[in-house]
Amino acid sequence: MMEITVRVNGRDRRRQIKDNELLLDFLRERLEVRSVKAACWRGECGLCTVKLNGHLVKSCLVLAAEADGKEVKTVEGISSEHELAPIQKAFVSHGAAQCGFCTPAWILATHELLQVNPHPSGADLVEATSGLICRCGTYNQIREAVAEVSGVPAKRRQTKESLASA
Amino acid sequence: MSFGSPFVTLPDFEYHKPKDLDEVLALLKEHGDEAKVMGGGVGLIAFMKERLMSPSHVIDLKEVKELKQVRRVAGKGLSIGAAVSMAELLEGGKLQSDHMVLREALAKVADPMIRSRATLVGNLCEAIPWVDSPPALMSLDAFVEIAGPDGKRSLPVSSFIRGPVDIDLSPTEIVTDVVIPEARGRTSAFEKFTGGSEFSLASVAVALSTDGRRRNAKVVFGAVNSIPARCPEAEQVIEGGVTPASVRKAAEVASEKVECLDDVLATAAYRKHLVRVITTKVLRRIMES
Repeated sequence: MMEITVRVNGRDRRRQIKDNELLLDFLRERLEVRSVKAACWRGECGLCTVKLNGHLVKSCLVLAAEADGKEVKTVEGISSEHELAPIQKAFVSHGAAQCGFCTPAWILATHELLQVNPHPSGADLVEATSGLICRCGTYNQIREAVAEVSGVPAKRRQTKESLASA
Repeated sequence: MSFGSPFVTLPDFEYHKPKDLDEVLALLKEHGDEAKVMGGGVGLIAFMKERLMSPSHVIDLKEVKELKQVRRVAGKGLSIGAAVSMAELLEGGKLQSDHMVLREALAKVADPMIRSRATLVGNLCEAIPWVDSPPALMSLDAFVEIAGPDGKRSLPVSSFIRGPVDIDLSPTEIVTDVVIPEARGRTSAFEKFTGGSEFSLASVAVALSTDGRRRNAKVVFGAVNSIPARCPEAEQVIEGGVTPASVRKAAEVASEKVECLDDVLATAAYRKHLVRVITTKVLRRIMES
């Protein structure tokens, strides 16, 4: 056991942890930050993504002990108490969440992308989110939500409707 | 609580966060076989979940200042520390045009979240047949620098990797840096074929430099066999010049000469086909550069 202090979404949180505890477990179980999802546990789905000292990381592949003295940001940290961030509003208006399980990770990742690169191309978006999986397949809607915030028009993939009207 | 369920928890270990290399070496001397060093951790943590590794001590290198540096050392080359993440290495022009093959290999590793943790040295030390950095490093004639209880030693990446998941490193030693020697007028490139998965079924790293009048070529294939393999016959072909005809010839020779494995992911015959395709692709890019 050891004691660590982690600044989570601007607030210092001090807890006893086990040496072999994952950052994911620390956030979900000890701090009850439930927007950070546990799914594949092996760094493939990306749903446990958080920002650790300025870099997006998959928290199932980080030890809690490593985060001692560091800063963690989750989706709760991108909006103010009374207003959603622009990308969150765009996710709502474009229906970019279906079951919603992966949504916190996608919002965090696209929000961070837009911070560094306010006008990402389609390729930039694909590269930045290549570590995330949405099993409902809302990729088109996510692309449109990002396009609304960035002002860069999204190239929509061909659908039955677009093929029929072509 | 997810604590306690199989596959998602880690074995019990003591976590160490040494501040300098002497402290790392002292910990390794004390715990040796029982300890594992952790660079980025993406490999180690995954292996520990699967119980492929169950160390009693984990030594985290992320705060070891000597290992966090990328330096150009005169007369030696570019030295990359064991705790430098792939993302850090790809940032800010640390890998210049003469390291293009490594840039390209690293830029295609997994995804940005993994690259912000994974280290080049960790990737190399895993020595898993399908990882991409070993062939790239071999094409650049890179060598590893190792520190241990008896002092320092260095050896080429090609002899450091002894077999699949087998490296020339004792439990009390640590790879401190990987060094890429300078070469005059070097052009290089990397190609891989993954077949939709995240791991390579075949990869190729090519570096071409000029030593006075002589052209010096390295053509190294990864993922086709249990360890990365050079193809001297293909190297010879392109040392005579990179032309549409020699590109075709080199791809043919490589496909014929490189030994490929049959495994659950692909047949040897399919890998030989891939060798021809990726060799043609990579050499065409070198020709056009």
